[in-house]
Amino acid sequence: MRRIQSRIDVNAVEYRENYAAMTGRLKEFHARQHAARYERPQRDLDRLARQNKLTVRERLEMLLDPGTPFLEFSTLAACRAYDGTVPGAGVVTGIGIVQGREVAIHANDASVKGGAWYPLTVKKIVRLLDIAIENRLPVVHICDSAGGFLPLQHGVFPDRYLGGRVFRNQTILSRMNVPQLAIVGGHCTAGGAYVPALSDYNIIVEGTGAIFLGGPPLVKAATGEEVGVQELGGAIMHTSVSGTGDYRAASEAQAFALAREIVSQWKRSQKAVIETAPIEEPFYDPQELYGIIPKDRKTQFDMREVIARIVDGSRFHEYQPHYGTTLVCGFAHIWGFKVGILANNGVLFNDSSLKAAHFIQLCNQNHTPLIFFQNITGFMVGREYEERGITKDGAKMLMAQGGSVVPKFTVIANASYGAGNYGMCGRAWDARTLFMWPQAEIGVMGAEQAANTMADVKIRQMQREDLELTDEEIAAIREPVLERYKRDVEAYTSTSEIWDDGILDPVDTRNALAMSISAALDAPIDDPHYGVFRM
Amino acid sequence: MRRLLEIGGEQIPVWLAHTGKGYVVHARDRAVPCALTCSQGRGAYVLELEGRSIPLRLAVSETATFIHLYGRAYEIRRTDPADRLVEGGAGAGQDSIVAPMPGVVVSVTVGPGDRVEKGQTLLVIESMKLETTLSAPRDGVVAEVPFAPGEGFGLKDVLARLAPEEE
Amino acid sequence: MHPGYGFLAENAAFVRALNAAGITFVGPTEDVIDLMGDKVRARAFVAERGFPVAPAAIEDDDPASFVERARAVGYPLLIKPSAGGGGKGMRVVREDAALEAEIETARREGKRYFGDGRLFVERYIERPRHIEVQVMGDGCGNVVHCWERECSIQRRFQKIIEETPSPALSPEQRTEICETAAGIARAVNYRGAGTVEFIYAPDGAFYFLEMNTRLQVEHPVTEMVTGIDLVAEQLRIAAGGGLSHAQAEIRQTGHAIELRICAEDAFADFRPAIGEVLLVEEPQGAGVRVDSGILEGGKVTTDFDPMLAKLIVHGSDRAGAIARARAAVQGYVILGVTTNTGYLDAILAHPRFLSGDVSTGFLAEEAAVLTARGEDVTDILVAATALSDGRLVRAVDEIPEMHRLMGAWRN
Repeated sequence: MRRIQSRIDVNAVEYRENYAAMTGRLKEFHARQHAARYERPQRDLDRLARQNKLTVRERLEMLLDPGTPFLEFSTLAACRAYDGTVPGAGVVTGIGIVQGREVAIHANDASVKGGAWYPLTVKKIVRLLDIAIENRLPVVHICDSAGGFLPLQHGVFPDRYLGGRVFRNQTILSRMNVPQLAIVGGHCTAGGAYVPALSDYNIIVEGTGAIFLGGPPLVKAATGEEVGVQELGGAIMHTSVSGTGDYRAASEAQAFALAREIVSQWKRSQKAVIETAPIEEPFYDPQELYGIIPKDRKTQFDMREVIARIVDGSRFHEYQPHYGTTLVCGFAHIWGFKVGILANNGVLFNDSSLKAAHFIQLCNQNHTPLIFFQNITGFMVGREYEERGITKDGAKMLMAQGGSVVPKFTVIANASYGAGNYGMCGRAWDARTLFMWPQAEIGVMGAEQAANTMADVKIRQMQREDLELTDEEIAAIREPVLERYKRDVEAYTSTSEIWDDGILDPVDTRNALAMSISAALDAPIDDPHYGVFRM
Repeated sequence: MRRLLEIGGEQIPVWLAHTGKGYVVHARDRAVPCALTCSQGRGAYVLELEGRSIPLRLAVSETATFIHLYGRAYEIRRTDPADRLVEGGAGAGQDSIVAPMPGVVVSVTVGPGDRVEKGQTLLVIESMKLETTLSAPRDGVVAEVPFAPGEGFGLKDVLARLAPEEE
Repeated sequence: MHPGYGFLAENAAFVRALNAAGITFVGPTEDVIDLMGDKVRARAFVAERGFPVAPAAIEDDDPASFVERARAVGYPLLIKPSAGGGGKGMRVVREDAALEAEIETARREGKRYFGDGRLFVERYIERPRHIEVQVMGDGCGNVVHCWERECSIQRRFQKIIEETPSPALSPEQRTEICETAAGIARAVNYRGAGTVEFIYAPDGAFYFLEMNTRLQVEHPVTEMVTGIDLVAEQLRIAAGGGLSHAQAEIRQTGHAIELRICAEDAFADFRPAIGEVLLVEEPQGAGVRVDSGILEGGKVTTDFDPMLAKLIVHGSDRAGAIARARAAVQGYVILGVTTNTGYLDAILAHPRFLSGDVSTGFLAEEAAVLTARGEDVTDILVAATALSDGRLVRAVDEIPEMHRLMGAWRN
């Protein structure tokens, strides 16, 4: 494979302005992440200390192998929900290494509302368990939750992908022979009680851990029985009487030591075989991504410059370099894993759509995982393109992409608008992981376009009522719509709602993709088969 | 995996990592690349550390590593914090010996006030035509042995109780 | 029957039992063992024959004159309870004005500790050395000495480094102290190998301390400088073969040092160490002798004396012997049980030892220097320990390469 020849001039004014803009955005991003991870009201921290419990971050470090990576998902989930009072949606999820084995981790954050499940908490846990199912990843649950957040129970409990889905996913994992371990470091009440109960192994920390369908107050209200936490669902009762618990630990430290010992008993997964090469760092400095991504979203940039700063040795074998040039396709390696890359260099035309469909089939044929770098404003519109069958060709791309059996991974690098999002493996298309860069946007169309469309509808309606509108009045209608829409398409909104698996600092993209690919190989790769392509 | 090393009274948590080039030992807030290769002589090695090649002699026991370095011998105690913790938990804190099934007491070898050691026989019961010896789950003082030889008991009856442990 | 240098070597009852059984005991007669085993009788015996003993006064001899006799001992003096031991109730008096008050205090303490208020006093020798003389007698009145040994390097009243010749003695003093020892042995018609121990004061005065009626642990230094095999000599005497050398033939050649290699932690108040000997490699070469009692695979327990081995070196002079001792002790590899080799080396390197300026208090006085942590080798020890820890290395190796290389990356 040949090295991409970068044309970036790091001394150019434009580069430096882009760089400054991106570092500014990242400063904000990292500050938000830090706050979501560590900043809590003092009373919550005091309560944890009083209960003699470790923080969720301390628990993670005790569980993971030292000196190994942890890919954390949706670090800013719920950042724009519940008035920002539920940082990270009150749960930490991710993929980490325990005793040399990749495991998916779900850990309640008891410093956030006592670990109560909000609607987005449930969504984040279900997403993690979906990832575990798709990738056949063993799961370690670190349970410490007050239960569902009652004022929002309608968003926690009834629907298909709400609370029950957590437990349903646990049973599916077990059926797939994927082991699960629960460490009960706090209360597991009501539905939460099933998390350890449905795990193959569980450990309860004496004194702080407890499992019960109804806690002491509920029991008193229901039957009048007065019973203490320990008698009702403590470690000793469950491990020696009910058998709901497997192991009891005198301390959290002991619980995590035991947990690591249990994980070390699990058989290692047989990785799906894909092409690999010796690992090589990118030739070009990934930090240069900051100067490559334009400060103005509308400015076009060459995705090859992005690819060069993410793949091994900056080497890229480009497929059909002279055809359908608004979509860059080709092969590269990331941390040694062979991947097929599709990256937008403009609007999708008929030729670029056909190129995509063909390339995706190539990758399925030789078991090469797919990576989508999105900067897409949509498929081309207009009479000529409709006559040429742009929708039909787009459908071929969707059919090939949707029918893929190889693992897919998506990075929304800049714009993700309209049907382009579908073709480029948007959220609905089962990317094993999907990340966004902080300046990226996602929506049915660009903000100004959407605002104009919505404002125009309103203006025309008023004009029909014979109202003459001044420019100021038109602006007054248009501006709030634009403002609202701009906010709705921002990465922070997407990540708050868990439409993605998290915002990434662009330099972390390489590792995040590699961690995702490695995890995905825990699941076997089928032989390719497709639906009907509209020819 | 982590280790807790004790060197000259100082407790040093240590873990090992591996970069593409070789091992890196993490201790005392530093990460130091290093390599250990065999050399001439029993237990003889050369440690490569920060550009130095250090000859030393080394012997490893279950719980300690002994190193002869620059004419002096050092003993480094090794503990796996996990091992210690995992062992710590088993069976601790149990005060009562509860009948595993209904039966009859055959003999009682201790009485209230007796000091017993962990594993010491407290009483023998017969159930389902089998005699079972019940022994002390921990060191302690017997508080109560409610049944006399010949008496029958039911499932989960307390057969012996130790005085609660003092903190 | 050669009793070694353990408990049986000075047990008169054992000797009587051997005699009754018709077995020859390699050593002195039971009477001599009895006499020298009783410190008070031995001291009186030696004093009566005009040999130097430290001035002392025993209250029991004549309670009425005790204070006067104590005053005559001279200052500084040490008051000890007659029934005492372990340093309890001992008081140093440096001036006459304090004597009577201190006697009363010591008496009260003696009563409190031992239920016995009787006392005795003796001259308190400051900064004393321990010098002893090897003697050999044929039991027929012939006695020779094999020169002295300096044994002032002691911890917990036990010797750990011995050397000969003593750096403290002038040739005249050497002759005087050795002749004194031979005289004492002659006075008891000594048979076999024995050692007469003296307290040696900084002013050159020396006083009889006791006589050990057996071979000493530190006898090899004498063998190294005289070329005489003392054990062979013991056997020869026991077999009635008499002494093999006349006094004039016994010469000191060069300098010898013995280091006692003990299983103990010199950095933790000489706490005995236990363990299994995993690897032993003894130093070798000219002028190096190792008398060892350990083998690889052997267990070191607290059931026995912590001494594992003796390292003895010989050099043409004291500086040469010290250099050789240091090289040898540094090269003495004993792994599996903590030993005092590093501590012994630190003593050998100490300027006061190098200049011979030592006393029995040396190790205590210089404890801070001798147990100072040297160059910080913690990084080396940590790295070597980690890399030789199979489970730790395996745990790292089991982490997939990519995750290993990524390190503790967080997004």
